[in-house]
Amino acid sequence: MRFRFCGDLDCPDWVLAEISTLAKISSVKLKLICAQVLRDLLGDPMEYEKILKLTSDAKLESGDVKATIAVLGFILSSAAKHNVDSESLSSELQQLGLPKEHASGLCRSYEEKQSSLQDRLRACSLRLSRLGSVCWRVDFTLSSSELREVNEPLIHLNFNLRDGEHGETAAVPMVLSAEKFRVLLAELKQAQALMNTLL
Amino acid sequence: MLLVLSAEQKAHLGCLPQGTAAVAELGRLAVELLRRGAAPRACEAAARKLNIDVDAVQRAVEGLTYLLTESSKLMISEIDFQDSIHVLGFSDELNKLLLQLYLDNRKEIRSILNELAPKLPSYHSLEWRLDVQLASRSLRQQIKPVVTIKLHLNQNEDQTAQVLQTDPSTLLHLIQQLEQALGEMKTNHCRRIVRNMK
Repeated sequence: MRFRFCGDLDCPDWVLAEISTLAKISSVKLKLICAQVLRDLLGDPMEYEKILKLTSDAKLESGDVKATIAVLGFILSSAAKHNVDSESLSSELQQLGLPKEHASGLCRSYEEKQSSLQDRLRACSLRLSRLGSVCWRVDFTLSSSELREVNEPLIHLNFNLRDGEHGETAAVPMVLSAEKFRVLLAELKQAQALMNTLL
Repeated sequence: MLLVLSAEQKAHLGCLPQGTAAVAELGRLAVELLRRGAAPRACEAAARKLNIDVDAVQRAVEGLTYLLTESSKLMISEIDFQDSIHVLGFSDELNKLLLQLYLDNRKEIRSILNELAPKLPSYHSLEWRLDVQLASRSLRQQIKPVVTIKLHLNQNEDQTAQVLQTDPSTLLHLIQQLEQALGEMKTNHCRRIVRNMK
């Protein structure tokens, strides 16, 4: 059986197995647990004690609680990843055996946060490095040990790069003469024009 | 297979006091040493309790540790273990105690020794992105799809990342090769070996 929220592939076995655990929790509490899981997916810390309190009525063991969080995380992030609308998600979850109220509660939480979830996933996508900031300085060289009257402008550029997850900054300093700088600027302006045609 | 103990090790084990309670205590210390590493304070406490010199306790514990690790490593049988320690000239009771110590802790010591084997970097996770190159400084109006992959590897708690780039046809070839490698498990040759290993 192919499911859209699994990317048109079969649903993983472990998700199928945990659907029955999800059905044990009442649909109101499931919606609250969904809210917590969405908070975690969006980058805020999740309040695990609240989830424990909500699942205590259903008498789930600690392994089941973690499995519930994992399944909800998978369903929500997978649906956002493949851009599934909440109607289709609800019907697919019901096909998997999740009761109707649970599915509709889950999908309502998903629908509210779908676009922010997708923005967050877009921001987390692989990026090799980012430009943090650019600093520059223009100097004027008067003379040097080789030539008494040089009289040329000189540009110091410093690119601060930020590397992905570790947040390490690397600085790339360089010095350019006026002609080189003009060439660099012209090429970058051409690239910018190309980017603007795509936006 | 018999364990051959060098003269120095025999001297170390000779420091073992003759009381079984004392030897049991030192045996426990030896296993703790293997589990967690050196604990000089525990040795001092034991020395005070048993009324023996600290150095003697240290040597005896080290001797016991060597005995246990070598026997667990080689997985020697009970009879061989008994014959190996017979040469130390301990009482029967002591020999029985040492044998029991060996048998009780053998599995755990083997699992600890298992972790000491050198390891290659192992797979942790994979991130990918699909881009299309539209233009470069030298050539405009291109369409060149590129897949960028960041492979996260783990080696002894060190995380490293490798960045790789490929075009889609190479990626398909890579997938095909990996699927062929997985398919090898289903051949008769591999099945025969796996059956014999179980």
